[in-house]
Amino acid sequence: MRTLSVSALSGLLILALAACASTPPPDAEMALGKAAMGQAQSAGGNEYAPAEMRMARDKLERAQLAINDKHYAQARLLAEEAQVDARLAQSKSEAGKAGKAATAVKEDGRVLREELERKTQ
Amino acid sequence: MSMIRSNPRTLIALAASAVLMACSSIPASNPQLETARADYRQAQNDAQTRELAPAELKQAGEALERADQAYARRDEAGSVNHLAYVAAQRTAIAQESARQRAAERAVAQSQVERDRMRLAARTSEADAAKLSAAAAQQQTLAAQRQTSMAVADAEAARRAADDAQVRTYQLETELRALNAKQTERGLVITIGDVLFDNNQARLKPGGLRNLEQLAAFMKQYPQRRLLVEGHTDSVGSDSSNEGLSQRRAEAVRDAIVGQGVAADRLSVRGLGETRPVAGNDNAAGRQLNRRVEILLSDVNGVIASR
Repeated sequence: MRTLSVSALSGLLILALAACASTPPPDAEMALGKAAMGQAQSAGGNEYAPAEMRMARDKLERAQLAINDKHYAQARLLAEEAQVDARLAQSKSEAGKAGKAATAVKEDGRVLREELERKTQ
Repeated sequence: MSMIRSNPRTLIALAASAVLMACSSIPASNPQLETARADYRQAQNDAQTRELAPAELKQAGEALERADQAYARRDEAGSVNHLAYVAAQRTAIAQESARQRAAERAVAQSQVERDRMRLAARTSEADAAKLSAAAAQQQTLAAQRQTSMAVADAEAARRAADDAQVRTYQLETELRALNAKQTERGLVITIGDVLFDNNQARLKPGGLRNLEQLAAFMKQYPQRRLLVEGHTDSVGSDSSNEGLSQRRAEAVRDAIVGQGVAADRLSVRGLGETRPVAGNDNAAGRQLNRRVEILLSDVNGVIASR
């Protein structure tokens, strides 16, 4: 997953740099934003960070509209923000899941301790 | 010539200092950038974030630096705001990553703790098994121990339970410890000839020890009474035998009284050779006949008469 996105990123960067000479449409930023959205979604973003997910989706859509109107500078900013929004959604999801796991394991430990204490009595 | 060449240099230097002055002067504040800075400072001051998400925190710092630079360059507000927004989000990402890692760490610790508890439980089970094995061995030993221990054990058992049945059982145990025998006249404890000095009324230390246990028993059951009867074999005159049996019975009584039992709880009789328990025609029989018998009363202090 990681190596894939990194190679995709470098490929797109080359494309973006090549396009730099003329007015560059933010293809790389768009691709990165979409990839971050996908990752956040599979991490459980809709459950754990719905607000960030909504912002990211919204900004990607607006970025696409800006590209259609050839407002590339505006599109790039939106795509970049969508990417950090999605990354934050992913981080929140991972943290939420780990927190849940920690609670569950602690509860398991408590149950086990009680069971053992009952056994030794 | 040199003046002409130095002129553009001077101009460049002037231009550079103008730019630097522009940089060092503080432009009107940008609220979004202020917020991003405050967020970042807070994350930086948080030990958990510093320790658990250093890479993410560094990225946030770099993003903030880009925003600061854009601001210092007096880039347009939209661009500065954008960079400030990215920096703020990156800071939040660092904090969330730290939260995630702290939780993962807690999971790992809980698992270690759980394993430790399981191991401890298994160890204590093994220890308990060892202990109960040791206790069983101890019990075997205790059962084999001398009568003094039996009395002590019985007393401990008495404290443990009030139950009448338990008490009866306990009494039997104690009496067994005293070598008491059930006869038609009740319980009888016999002090054999061997526990006296030859033809004397003086008790040997072994006999005294036996009486210590009996005295302890009497203190524990204050309603019981004792009748001490001295006996001899048929060797010698009736009067001397009667005298010896009386003196031996008194010696036993004195020994018990000496252990702290009230004298009025004991009666003494010297019966001489009148009550043989074996034949007087051989040495073994005669030895059995030379004895002191201690009769134990019932719960009401009554001793069956002959």
